[in-house]
Amino acid sequence: MQLSLLKEHQLLEGIAQNDRKITEQVYRDNYKQVQSWVQARGGSADDGDDVFQEAMTILFQKAQQEGFRLSCKIGTYLVAVSKFIWYNKLQLQNRRPDFMPFDSGEEDANHQYAYQDDIRVQEERELHFEQLNAAMEELGEPCRSLLKAFYNEDKSMQEIASVFGYTNPDNAKTQKYKCLTRLKKLFYAAQVHK
Amino acid sequence: MTIENNIWKRAEGYLNNTLNADELKFLEQQIAKDKDFAAEFHGAANMLRSIQANAAQQKFKHRLTSIQANIRQEQKEQPRKISLRLHYIRTASVAAGVALLASLGVNFWNNRNQNSTPKYSELRKVRTEIEGIKQSQKRIIKDLDNKANKPAIDNMYSGTGFALTNDGYLLTNYHVTEGADSVYIQTHSGDYYKAFMVSFDAKSDIAILKIESKNFKFSKQGALPYSFATSKSKLGERVFTLGYPQDEIVYSEGYISSRNGFMGDSIQYRLELPAEPGQSGAPVLDAAGNVVAIVTGKESKSSGTTYAVCSNTMLRLLHNLPQSNIINLPKSSKLSGLSRSQQIEKIQDFTCVVNVYK
Repeated sequence: MQLSLLKEHQLLEGIAQNDRKITEQVYRDNYKQVQSWVQARGGSADDGDDVFQEAMTILFQKAQQEGFRLSCKIGTYLVAVSKFIWYNKLQLQNRRPDFMPFDSGEEDANHQYAYQDDIRVQEERELHFEQLNAAMEELGEPCRSLLKAFYNEDKSMQEIASVFGYTNPDNAKTQKYKCLTRLKKLFYAAQVHK
Repeated sequence: MTIENNIWKRAEGYLNNTLNADELKFLEQQIAKDKDFAAEFHGAANMLRSIQANAAQQKFKHRLTSIQANIRQEQKEQPRKISLRLHYIRTASVAAGVALLASLGVNFWNNRNQNSTPKYSELRKVRTEIEGIKQSQKRIIKDLDNKANKPAIDNMYSGTGFALTNDGYLLTNYHVTEGADSVYIQTHSGDYYKAFMVSFDAKSDIAILKIESKNFKFSKQGALPYSFATSKSKLGERVFTLGYPQDEIVYSEGYISSRNGFMGDSIQYRLELPAEPGQSGAPVLDAAGNVVAIVTGKESKSSGTTYAVCSNTMLRLLHNLPQSNIINLPKSSKLSGLSRSQQIEKIQDFTCVVNVYK
């Protein structure tokens, strides 16, 4: 399949599904522009990569929503969001950026609130995931490894039963539910203390 | 507990759309009339949604990092390992042609000149080069024959593995196989086989793999030549290892420089033994041919200090395997009393490259 012939919505779908080829194509098509833009504004090549990857992650999350469509090209979106992310970062460090993420008259300007919104939503999501990861760490073994094997490594209950030494998949499942119950308690306890 | 499990089960079914119409209807009714149940159910469903979304995002970020790593690698203009292999095949066959021509030329020149002693050694050098090329061409032919069995070229990492049984159980490092989409092993003779993970211990960094193919054999000679040490070896003991930092198997030797490993880790040894990337998972053997450890890492600052997980830990992982995978290890080594090169000859068929595609 010629990747260059894929339509934008097919690319988005590929990103949403974490398709290796499509994600890599979109990455390669756009990262350089962001990298040199950031480098021209006080950042390093690494900063450029980080910022671009954050923008890709935002796009990944947005693409999960059913029926999601971009009002602009994927590349335009990624570059614009990256610019805002870098702009925000500099402001956070109390380095007053001597530039705006968009040039007046540029199309970006019209969407700036939408971009900032997407970035803020993602920040909240990351915080939520961080708390979840913290609860996961607190969970201890074998629960932590078991849940990781199922959710992160996509192991089947059959495999998990064999690796963790349960006599059958049903027993492993019962253990998984017990682990989930404990995780939920830890997670909500953390929420209350926050 | 059972009520809670039941809620998780139904929340899972609800999110994955695997509830049938009746179950769904019953669930909706229960949510409508029982406030406590509704709260519990939504709590469970939200928890599951969060876990799934978090895992999906982690996988996506992992993807981004690996793409970035690929690009960096290309920018360094060092071809990736796999492309190196392809590159090598092509240039090797071209080089074979050139070398052949060159040697003919020299030969011709030699025949006409009688004072040929210094040139003679040169010619011999070319000849041995040709020998080497012939061998690598054989390998190429074998490689090409195996194309069908070979995985699609992709993002690849590699380590070393070694046999636990002749029929395809093998050991490697957990960090080699971590996050793998698929694992292929390449035997010493150059054949590719798909493998899957049977068990692992992330903490001690060891993983047991099994080759999928039913009639796979590491070697025609039968059982493993080496055995596994059941107790920890002594300080100063001479050890050696065989691994694949490159396409060819590489031998290196050294000694146990501390009975405890990195930061005093008692399940490891510290070795004074040169090791390179790709040698992770290589067996460390003593002079009598007992596997005493498995290479796991090295100190980043020094070149010769390597860490290896001791064989007791491997044996413990083996004992904890489910009944269905019974692995009988040889009780004694067939290697004692042999010269080192004879030992290597016997061991090498039982080592392999572990190729991991992410």
